[in-house]
Amino acid sequence: MLTYLRKRIIASALPLVVVIVGVFALARMTGNPAALYLPLNATDTMRAEFAARNGLDQPIWVQMAQYFGGIFRFDFGTSMRTGQDAAQMALRAFPATLQLAATTMIIAIILALIVGSAAAMKPNGILDRCSSFISMTAASIPDFWLAIVGIWVFAITLGVVPTSGVVGAAAWFLPVATLVMRPFGTLVQVIRGAMVSALSEPYIKLARSKGATEYRVIAQHALRNAAAPGLTVAGDLTVGLVNGAVVVETIFGWPGIGKLMIDSILQRDFAVLQACVLLTAVAIFVLNILIDLGYALLDPRVRPSAGARQRRKARAAQGPTHGSENRTLAPVGPALSTSESSRGNH
Amino acid sequence: MLLVTPRSRRIPLALAASALLGTTALSGCSVANSEDAAGGSSAPSDTLRVVLQQEPPTLEACESNLTSTGVVIRSTITEPLVERNPTSGELEPKLATQWSSKDDQTWTLKLREGVKFHDGSDFNADDAIATIDRAVNSKLGCNVEGYVFGDDDLKLKKVDDYTIEVTAAKKDPILPLRLSFLEVVPKETSTTEKVREPIGTGPYQIEDWQAGQSINVAAFADYWGEAPAYSKANYQWRSEGSVRAAMITSGEADIATGLSPEDNIGDLGVSYPNNETVALRMHADTAPFDDIRIRRAVNYAIDKESIVASLYAGRDKAAAQLVPSGVVGHSDDLPVWEFNLDKAKELVAEAKADGTDVSAPINLVVRTAQFPKIQELAQVIQEQLTQAGLTVNLKMLETSQHLTYQVRPFPTKDDGAIMLMTQHGNQAGDAAFTVDQYMTSKGAQSAFGTPELDELIAQADAASGDDRQAAFEKVFKYQNDEVVQFAHIAHQTGMLGISSSVAYEPNSSSGDELRLAEVTAAK
Amino acid sequence: MSALEMAPPAKDERPEPKNRRKAKTQSESRVSMFTMLLRDRFATVAAIFLSLVVLTAIFGPALMGEHATAQNLMFMNKAPFDPANGWLYILGSDSLGRSVLARIVVATQTTLLVAVPAVLVALLLGSLWGVWAGYHRGRREAISMRIADIIMSFPSLLLAVVVLFVFSPSAANIVLILAITRIPIYLRTARAESAELQSRTFVDAARTFGTNPNAIIVRHVIPVVTPTLLTLATLEFCFVMLAESSLSFLGIGIQPPDVSWGLLVAQGRQYLQTAWWLSILPGLAIVLTAVAANVLAAWMRIATDPAQRWRLELDRKSTKAFEKATRQAAKMQTKKGNDK
Repeated sequence: MLTYLRKRIIASALPLVVVIVGVFALARMTGNPAALYLPLNATDTMRAEFAARNGLDQPIWVQMAQYFGGIFRFDFGTSMRTGQDAAQMALRAFPATLQLAATTMIIAIILALIVGSAAAMKPNGILDRCSSFISMTAASIPDFWLAIVGIWVFAITLGVVPTSGVVGAAAWFLPVATLVMRPFGTLVQVIRGAMVSALSEPYIKLARSKGATEYRVIAQHALRNAAAPGLTVAGDLTVGLVNGAVVVETIFGWPGIGKLMIDSILQRDFAVLQACVLLTAVAIFVLNILIDLGYALLDPRVRPSAGARQRRKARAAQGPTHGSENRTLAPVGPALSTSESSRGNH
Repeated sequence: MLLVTPRSRRIPLALAASALLGTTALSGCSVANSEDAAGGSSAPSDTLRVVLQQEPPTLEACESNLTSTGVVIRSTITEPLVERNPTSGELEPKLATQWSSKDDQTWTLKLREGVKFHDGSDFNADDAIATIDRAVNSKLGCNVEGYVFGDDDLKLKKVDDYTIEVTAAKKDPILPLRLSFLEVVPKETSTTEKVREPIGTGPYQIEDWQAGQSINVAAFADYWGEAPAYSKANYQWRSEGSVRAAMITSGEADIATGLSPEDNIGDLGVSYPNNETVALRMHADTAPFDDIRIRRAVNYAIDKESIVASLYAGRDKAAAQLVPSGVVGHSDDLPVWEFNLDKAKELVAEAKADGTDVSAPINLVVRTAQFPKIQELAQVIQEQLTQAGLTVNLKMLETSQHLTYQVRPFPTKDDGAIMLMTQHGNQAGDAAFTVDQYMTSKGAQSAFGTPELDELIAQADAASGDDRQAAFEKVFKYQNDEVVQFAHIAHQTGMLGISSSVAYEPNSSSGDELRLAEVTAAK
Repeated sequence: MSALEMAPPAKDERPEPKNRRKAKTQSESRVSMFTMLLRDRFATVAAIFLSLVVLTAIFGPALMGEHATAQNLMFMNKAPFDPANGWLYILGSDSLGRSVLARIVVATQTTLLVAVPAVLVALLLGSLWGVWAGYHRGRREAISMRIADIIMSFPSLLLAVVVLFVFSPSAANIVLILAITRIPIYLRTARAESAELQSRTFVDAARTFGTNPNAIIVRHVIPVVTPTLLTLATLEFCFVMLAESSLSFLGIGIQPPDVSWGLLVAQGRQYLQTAWWLSILPGLAIVLTAVAANVLAAWMRIATDPAQRWRLELDRKSTKAFEKATRQAAKMQTKKGNDK
């Protein structure tokens, strides 16, 4: 297991560097920030001073070398907009986003499990048709629209929750309700599909014929089968949320990383943008590793444990075993489930 | 996850879920980087709750001319030496009680005695000099330096503990007005680094700033003036106008800035003229704008009155010049350019007959979301110019990209003639801040000029008193008659949301400096 | 009904002998796709709706383009469904007095011109790359997956701003952004499927005969993975429409005077309380199109799957009879089990 982790981490390091280099270069293609930070009638002297102060007068490779040099000293640069340490700003915003993402995913998973299994009980029945329609609709409503309607209905008309902000438990309702729609809609379809296929498997019939209650059949056997495809899709959806629920954070004044990222993009605050991307990229890599570990737990056959050295050797003939490649070997139920990934990183 | 043993593997999802749920529950349903701040609907009535459009990037005093910074600190946290009354346009004493000059170049200021900073120290000439030196003469790169003073440094002299002398590089009749942009900070303030949370002399002092979330301020006990009505205030920010409006109607905030009537706030929305003027700037270097008849035709073709009436519900005023009334140099007598579509078509036809390429494309360059209904306005203008026989492409750009068109050096290789929609706010109350930038041949935001106009502007800049007013009036009339770089659209209005529990009368600078001390509880 | 239902029916669930014979004769005569479509009522409705959308996109702008830009400042924000205003304003008028109907019709073209190419480009690039990587495995696969990781953790918002800044705003550029950011989705799926296939016997057989890898990929791998990827693409279609509307909300998507459904929703949001139709009607267009595409995808999934096609090949009567028989069989079995 440790060997696997180590390999995986090494394999992730290079992509991280590429992401940072890419963000570094692309951000600087979006124009000179001087115009945004200086008064409109700034003189050439002031522009030169500004460029020198922010190191923008150097060629881009020198800037990049300095930046990477800084990273090794845990210096991620200073925000042009606020004058604060860029890494601190990103780290301060990230937990808010993580909490929102975790809460959303937990609720979406629980709801989807209930609705999805209920729908799978009788494929193409009324309940199934309804849940299918509702989940598809839920997944195709623009989130900003939902958020504004939510504020109008729940905060203004009914007055049961605050419009926005982060103070108090009630403030969680609208952001979470808005964010939950898409993961819920997608997961219902995944879980239902996996359950339908599981419920027609011989071992379920066996369980039924042995007199197992319907609840036991569902909870113990069918749900387990739905876990793997559910995990893939849930993982992908979580990645989308971790990348920042920009729209929801913007509307509700949620102090998360998505809002910070869009602000620093629009304000050409390069250091903060880079810090944000680095942080979310690391989180996404970690998440991907966790998902793969999750597979291993669900199905011992794909567990890349030390005890399986021989098997790994055997498999080495076919190709590498590290990384998300394991997903191939997972009992993915319906093939589509692996592909149902809907990353919201727009 | 690793703790899950094979035996319990049958419910790994449920386990993982409950583990995650536990984490969230442990965090007590509060967002990670927040503590329970004052705010929300349960706030005590001694706290004034304000919701802004955006978080201030910094509260640094020498950046106070940035709207998002100034709206919080100006005359609330920090105070200037001299203050301009936004209604009368007159300068009024603040931390300086008197000012005078014999030659309009060296100015002597008498300072107020008995004023204390939030850290308990006394305010005197050293602090005033340090403030001016720091903002204008240092290498700090203060925004206010570029905005108000340019490259020229000021010479400073301490006469005694409560008297200072400020000398400009050349004659400057409005130096006291320029000084009104400088917010006073103690002499200990760093001159090498900007300070995010300044110490000032204002009626409120900063208590804590929870980044991304809110700023709390409290009344300063040793304030030299009258104590404000509210002992605490809390700033939050939401970027959606409808959300800010909703916070007022649901009682979560007392004052909201930057609203528009579409936000459906009803009677709680109070509109006020906000000093901003919208105009189109035409670049005369490319056909068809190289022909003044086309530039005049544009002015004839735009139906300003009906735009104001239908898009802005009659609150805005059709404009004839770049500055609104209340600014030195504005003339009420300058007529709004007549709307006359036939005349516009006639001019276009004439120009065409003389060989001007009237079908050459015009790029109408507009900044996305610069002010309410901007994209509607842009589309109306596009339609009206098309009716006059011109070819107009609409280019909606994001701020940074729009800026490349807005200030010199302008893009030269564009695929058409440039017509830029600009929103100009004159915070200072003197037309010099407008015309130097927008109308001189080399002005940062001027596409072209004429030597005659430059001469008129130079005369106006040096004049004072009534001569100054008359000289600037002449400048604006000359632009409309002979230069026609601009097609003016409207003097705008802003809107504040004010809850029924507080009383506040907005003025033309409420968007740039919201003086909390002027807010009282409603009777 | 869902896209994900694809369990191969267990052998013993096949229709009773009588029905089976009937089914056989039908499948021998190869029930046409069209007949299969008609067998599923929901899919039929979805297909009709989508055809309408496509026809609107093709002919709408030519027919109603003028009305979509004709302003009338005296006729702003008129409510919909008022016959007095004439058919053109049956869906109301917008903040500049333009016909909402005409604007939604014209926006259909832009919306499809963004969503369809974005999905197709990502599908084509991602799938081919994924199939190639999965077939060859080894280093090629590992590198491809790391590239997918890179694209996924890259902020697409930055990409949008870069494209807006460097090029002029246009629908084509939005397509570019959405296509690039969605490639990994197909890449990962195609790789997973093809990696599994390349170890199967029929591929092995082809390899032993010395067939060239590219030929194997084209002849044996691509046909098998295509249905899955096509279904995925239909689901992505919905995502891309939403992503485009989010970009419009943030002010970095489609720019006026171009108009798309997403932009209409984003611009209409400020009138939500005074003129709800400005944002709700185009929003409805997005939702309905997305749902219709999903329904059709689910149908296609079944129709193109040899193991499941029988469901659609049966006519309605036989389906009912079959379902009844299955239920009875299940009951019997349970009873038997309980008796034991």
